[in-house]
Amino acid sequence: MTFSLKRSLAIFRKDYKDVSKNLYVSTTVLMPLILAAVYGRTGVETVEVYFLVFNLTFTMVAAYVQSALIAEEKEKNTLRGLMLSPATTAEILGGKSMLSFLGTLIVLVMCAFFMEYQPGNLLIISVASLISIVFYIGIGTLIGLLTRSVMEASVAILPVAFFFSFVPLVKPFMDEYPILKAVNFFPNLQLIELANQIETGAGWGDSWSAILIILGWTVVITSFVVAVYNRKMVDH
Amino acid sequence: MLIINNIEKHSEHAVVFPPFRLEVAPGSVVAIHSSTNVRAELMDLFTGAKPVMSGEIISNGEMVHRNNPRYFAETGILFLEDGLYERLKVKEHLDFFLTIYGSTVKLEQLMQIIHLEEKRNVRVSLLSYSEKKRIRYARILIQQPSTVILEEPDQNVDLETKRVFLNIVNMLKQQKTSVVILTANMESALLATESVYRLDHTGLTALDVKPEQEGELVEENGQEEPASVQPVRFEKIPTRVNEKIVLFNPPEIDFIESNEGQSNINVKGDIYPCTFTLNELEQRLLPYGFFRCHRSYIVNLQKVREVVTWTRNSYSLVLDDASQSSIPLSKTKMAELKEMIGLK
Repeated sequence: MTFSLKRSLAIFRKDYKDVSKNLYVSTTVLMPLILAAVYGRTGVETVEVYFLVFNLTFTMVAAYVQSALIAEEKEKNTLRGLMLSPATTAEILGGKSMLSFLGTLIVLVMCAFFMEYQPGNLLIISVASLISIVFYIGIGTLIGLLTRSVMEASVAILPVAFFFSFVPLVKPFMDEYPILKAVNFFPNLQLIELANQIETGAGWGDSWSAILIILGWTVVITSFVVAVYNRKMVDH
Repeated sequence: MLIINNIEKHSEHAVVFPPFRLEVAPGSVVAIHSSTNVRAELMDLFTGAKPVMSGEIISNGEMVHRNNPRYFAETGILFLEDGLYERLKVKEHLDFFLTIYGSTVKLEQLMQIIHLEEKRNVRVSLLSYSEKKRIRYARILIQQPSTVILEEPDQNVDLETKRVFLNIVNMLKQQKTSVVILTANMESALLATESVYRLDHTGLTALDVKPEQEGELVEENGQEEPASVQPVRFEKIPTRVNEKIVLFNPPEIDFIESNEGQSNINVKGDIYPCTFTLNELEQRLLPYGFFRCHRSYIVNLQKVREVVTWTRNSYSLVLDDASQSSIPLSKTKMAELKEMIGLK
């Protein structure tokens, strides 16, 4: 399977033109930015608050925009055309993810700028965030593939967004209910954990386990996406 | 080159279609006339959505299988229902297709063929149904496959689009592409090609459309007929609806279509089966200004609004009825018609 960047870029360009005229999707991007601006004015005390905004960016920009992009292709009956074209699975999924990937990256950087977030080790947190974006895009693609329309996708994303944005809030209850400790292994909590460690001066040596766990989740979700996509290809 | 070898389809107790064999040589156009149900089953087989249980479909040496990308490279498929990216402009959309297919076709030329040069900067969502259809025709030209499968390619489109469509079919013929048209509309099948097949539960039967010979034969009859025209015996045409017999005044009738030996009378968009054959009807209706415009059609000339010339050899009559039905006019009949309406 050869990967032609030209085809993926064509899909990316098309999505960019498409979304820029689609206010329904493009305005959701503003939500984390507004939140970040507000927090930036009031001042941020803890790492958790930074990551409340970052998690919202992941779910609302990466996952939601991605699911809307995929679901719209299905709703408008255009995904079949792409699947029958010479573009391969990797080219289609890669091209379809480019826009949400770049969008998330830009919003993330802007949010960090608004809130004046200065991590102890920028490189580690960037690597972990980039991998996280891929994970959330995977979630979005999965939702897009499993729903039939943009409407359905935007309803289906709600519990997911809620789950990933607010699960960090259960942390204080962990000592009381040990079962909640399992939640610690979720990629969003691992990212926060990592950020906390970095604030206390941790380096690569201490953070590889968190990055590996996030990477593991990403690999699992990506292979899941490819499997579902190939099955959907049969159904058209 | 498309080879369909002994494919068949059963659904529960019923036979959808029995095994049949069909070869579509490069540069030839074949229409398969069938019910929508049969058409849907065929499309599922052509797209690999359902596996071919017995037999095989081979497009330029590539077997149909959903995991065989080379089959889909060789086969261009135009669906009846297919989406476009509605927020893109016409030019952007064609550009997207060109890049995805890595095609060398020129954009300007393409827009000329599909008659959308003037609308190049218009958003696809603002185009009419027919114009959108033309963008989808363009996809076939961009792909340049060796086999093309068209599902109801000219259903509900306007005359301009039909013209574009016929032009594209001619281009595909010249590029030595095998073209298969799946349609439930006999008029649309006859318009594009002379090799028309009917596919149903009894199998694939070639419709005997040989305009040259048939034309001569009927013409001979036509010459004899005026001599033997007798005083009108019947003024009404009987049709059978359930148990009732309904009589129609000839001027009410729009046109009559023959379907597997059964003549169907079209009145104001409704179809009534008639017990007479088309030949008998032709004789009876001749004095009322009816005209046998095609082997399987008789038209009420009073209702004809327009004679459309698609190419030098293919014509249609557009009627003045509610649905503006268009019916085929064979080449040999054109001369006869011109004579009748007083044109040379």
